Amino acid sequence: MTTLLAYIDPGSGSFLFQATIGVALAAGMSIKVFWRRLRSRFSSERHDRS
Amino acid sequence: MTTRTAGGSFRDPAGFVFTHEDTLYRHVTPQGEPFYRALMDSGLSPHLVERGLLIAHREVEVKTSPGAIAVLQPERVPFVSFPYEWCFSQLKAAALATLDIQAAAMEHGCSLRDASAYNIQFVGTRPLLIDTLSFEPLPQGRPWVAYRQFCQHFLAPLALMSLVDVRLAGLLPTHLDGLPLNLAARLLPGRSKLRGGLLLHLHQHARSQQRHAGTGASQDSTGGKFSQQALQGLIESLRKTVARLDVQPEGSTWVNYYAGDSYTEDALAHKERLVASVLDERQPKTVWDLGANMGRYARLAAERGATALAIEGDPVAVEAGWRHEADAPTGRMLHLVADLGNPSPALGWAHAERESLTQRGPADLVLALALVHHLAIAGNVPLGRVAAWFAELSREVLVEFVPKSDPKVEGLLASREDVFADYSPAGFESAFDAHFTRVDRFDIPGSDRALYHYRRGD
Repeated sequence: MTTLLAYIDPGSGSFLFQATIGVALAAGMSIKVFWRRLRSRFSSERHDRS
Repeated sequence: MTTRTAGGSFRDPAGFVFTHEDTLYRHVTPQGEPFYRALMDSGLSPHLVERGLLIAHREVEVKTSPGAIAVLQPERVPFVSFPYEWCFSQLKAAALATLDIQAAAMEHGCSLRDASAYNIQFVGTRPLLIDTLSFEPLPQGRPWVAYRQFCQHFLAPLALMSLVDVRLAGLLPTHLDGLPLNLAARLLPGRSKLRGGLLLHLHQHARSQQRHAGTGASQDSTGGKFSQQALQGLIESLRKTVARLDVQPEGSTWVNYYAGDSYTEDALAHKERLVASVLDERQPKTVWDLGANMGRYARLAAERGATALAIEGDPVAVEAGWRHEADAPTGRMLHLVADLGNPSPALGWAHAERESLTQRGPADLVLALALVHHLAIAGNVPLGRVAAWFAELSREVLVEFVPKSDPKVEGLLASREDVFADYSPAGFESAFDAHFTRVDRFDIPGSDRALYHYRRGD
């Protein structure tokens, strides 16, 4: 895949900062998705029982 | 036959906007092709247009645009406004819309390649993206290229307006690429660090920018390991941070905004009927209500089908008016913050990127109700100059004259010398008669005020 050029300056510090916090952001997102799934499973089970 | 490139459309080599015979077009260059195709081939375009988040367009054949891989004719927004003219809630709505657009783009395998607040425009209270070329195929392993711009254009001003003072939006015209994060971090109170999102995206982000300034870090130096989940987490985190920011109305200031008016209810109702009768008779398509407060009279115009601007210098009144419009939408009102003693100037490269308020006119009708005494007495602007500017803004004005005997003017003169010898009904009429032809004059019962309907004779 060819790299498409950005016309704005993403900023060195902004780019590196995202890379630094990336793992934490990804982990946070995983937990969120996990909770969402768990909650929807429980609520659908409750719904099935009622 | 005239073709003119838009003054603010030159930074992105992917394309530019131009007008030809008063129709607006977007020229897509060969460099812009992958960006345009990403939007069109992914199904993102109809998805966003249907949700009212992206301006609709159609491809057209235009001979005056050689070298284009496509020429687009976008729908036009009723009025182009700029972030420095928005109240807090407008900027917040624009920020959340940008994040909604990015989330939808990611679901379609795309990503925003810029996040400029100037790419958002309002139709009523609805924010939408007007830059069709803002998307790229979702890059693998790369952080969000528009993160810095989003934080500077949206997060920093919103945090300052929310936690310090809404008047800090006044910093925006001098920082057209958004507020520098180190400036925002210095101005924000220490308690802003107690909010995780602001600590991360403003304070620590600003420190990282300073630490790595000029080091030339790029995609390669980030290791190409920024996962899709990290990008999703980033957008979620920004959304939560923006959503938590708010401004609180102070006491009953907003609710009782008209309570301090010297009008009786009967006089107000009479004035409304007079304004409504002129609107019904003239049926203007665009109405600018200057000094609109919460936009009571602009609303009358919007209810009659006009595009109505409620232009007001007090950001608190604009905030209240915007919230009222959001609760009971006419869909045609736009509340804007502008100090009429110092209206939005032409800004940007060669003074041509962002048009002045006057350049964005003329309106079919200008309303200037209970305004002229503020300009003439509080602002020391001679009546002749007031009339001259109004004549630039519109061929037709409905303008109220509030004489010195009125308690509002007495209040303005209470603490200063009366150096306004020409400020009288006769002085007013002579100033306006020099620029307009008088159509009508109405007394407002229960007050010494009068409403004048003027039309330019040319």
